[in-house]
Amino acid sequence: MKTFKRVLGVVLALLVAAVFLFPLLWILLSSFKTKLELLAVPPVFIFRPTLQNYINAFNSDFPTQVRNSLIIAISTTVISITLGSLTAYGFSRYSIKGSDFLQFWILSLRMLPAIAVVVPFYLVFRTLKLLDTHIALIMVYCLFNISFAVWVLKGFFDEIPIELEEAAMLDGYSPPQVFLKVSLPLARAGLATTAIFCLIQSLNEFLLAVSLTTRVADTAPVGLSKVQTLMGVDWGLLSAGSIVFMLPVVIFTIIVRNELVRGMSFGRMR
Amino acid sequence: MAQEAMVSEREGPATAVEAAAGLRDLWWRRLLFAPTIGLLLLLAIVPLLFSLGVSLFNYSLGSRAIWTGLGNYINLFTDPQFWLAARVTVQFTIAAVSIEVVLGILLGFVLNQRFTGMGIIRLIVFLPMMLAPFCIGLFWRFMFDQTFGIVDYILTRVGLPTIPWLAHPFWSQVAVVVVDVWQWTPFVALLVLAGLGTIPTELLEAATLDRASTWLKFRQIYWPYLRFPLLLALLFRSIDTLKLFDSPFILTGGGPGNFTSTLSILGYRHQIMFFNVGMAAAISWVVVIIINIVTNILVRLITPARVEQVATGL
Repeated sequence: MKTFKRVLGVVLALLVAAVFLFPLLWILLSSFKTKLELLAVPPVFIFRPTLQNYINAFNSDFPTQVRNSLIIAISTTVISITLGSLTAYGFSRYSIKGSDFLQFWILSLRMLPAIAVVVPFYLVFRTLKLLDTHIALIMVYCLFNISFAVWVLKGFFDEIPIELEEAAMLDGYSPPQVFLKVSLPLARAGLATTAIFCLIQSLNEFLLAVSLTTRVADTAPVGLSKVQTLMGVDWGLLSAGSIVFMLPVVIFTIIVRNELVRGMSFGRMR
Repeated sequence: MAQEAMVSEREGPATAVEAAAGLRDLWWRRLLFAPTIGLLLLLAIVPLLFSLGVSLFNYSLGSRAIWTGLGNYINLFTDPQFWLAARVTVQFTIAAVSIEVVLGILLGFVLNQRFTGMGIIRLIVFLPMMLAPFCIGLFWRFMFDQTFGIVDYILTRVGLPTIPWLAHPFWSQVAVVVVDVWQWTPFVALLVLAGLGTIPTELLEAATLDRASTWLKFRQIYWPYLRFPLLLALLFRSIDTLKLFDSPFILTGGGPGNFTSTLSILGYRHQIMFFNVGMAAAISWVVVIIINIVTNILVRLITPARVEQVATGL
């Protein structure tokens, strides 16, 4: 009975893994198919792989769009981690008036629907001639990523024993020195984790990107979404582009796999 | 720490670090908080109030804004398209979130076993939720295709009739829910798994010795440790499906016949396609208010003691 249960458990786990892996593998496989093979009925599983879709993707606007995505995601992350670590440290170590209220307000930004800020940002950026620029998306993404960084980083700072900081104070460090030379280095794993989550979130965002950019600063998802409307549906290009675009996120996920709970729960669980 | 409340109740620490940072270092305290709070106010409150103002004007890009008071809201509430979008959004939320919670609990228990290779299986299961919802939508659109799609192919192979996934009002709604469930059930499972990890082993051993029934075991032992993670998952998933945009936008573009058009898609259409800014602002405010109500209810369940208003950024 006990072995039966165990075997059943393993089989279930493998089945589940297959359900989640299959769609990803199918797209990976499809990205190496020719146009004819992609649309074949019934679908072909064995074929001669071609790199043509990847070559096509690299000869289109796609590399520029990936560059835009990276510029926007990295800038957002740098700003969010800088400001987020200051404020998270503040919430963790200092008592200020209305601290609970402020923390709660920052948490509630997680609930803010992107569609709600599309209209005002569109109008403001239009007036400032900032539509379709990197700066526009960086600013909007900061709204969501700073609040995320504050919450997740506060959890990491809370875990640093305060005695270490007090010892540094006795050695004559000023409060800013304690932060820069003791707390930040101790929190570097947390900083890296939070930064990776910020990168992923910024890379993956679509509604704001498709609303606020058109063709100069458009990110990779926006670019891919246009492929399907202008030239019919080029599934080869779409699958190859998606695979290239997702590759860094897959690597990032493997790096932060032990901190997924913290990142995905806004730092509310670990 | 899974039982940790939404906000730590700890009052400000009178630590040596803080004591030393007395009045002399007031600028340092200001540096810690002022830039962040200032920027967030600028990026959240100002746009929201601005959009509230815009929603009171009959304003299309390229023409003059004319004061209309609640005109946009009245037009909205008498527009069948709006009610369809509202219904679709709520249906998606109820269907997707309830399925995700039930399957998420089961998946959490499946992933809670210990054997070699479990690390890789967990990684595979948790990967989809990290990927862009845009790409996930794209993949499923490819797989749901009526002629060359793999889903219908598998259905015919096991002797079932093919399904017009993206062309039929009902089935396209099912497709949107399927994609959301596929991508986000692992999120619920992730939190459940974390909750299970906090149960003391003695408790589990005692239950095994007592030969407690499965239901009793769940109610008495697991539930206290799963309550918080599940409510948190419920909160996050409800909010995210209420503002659902990416996957239906890619899968069906809101069609057929607007049957997968969520409130976010409706707002996007008014803004970007019709340049009807006033109307788009009104729709976005309706979404904000709906999400506010849901958030408040769920946050109250999570921390019954807290009565503060949790507004979406306001």
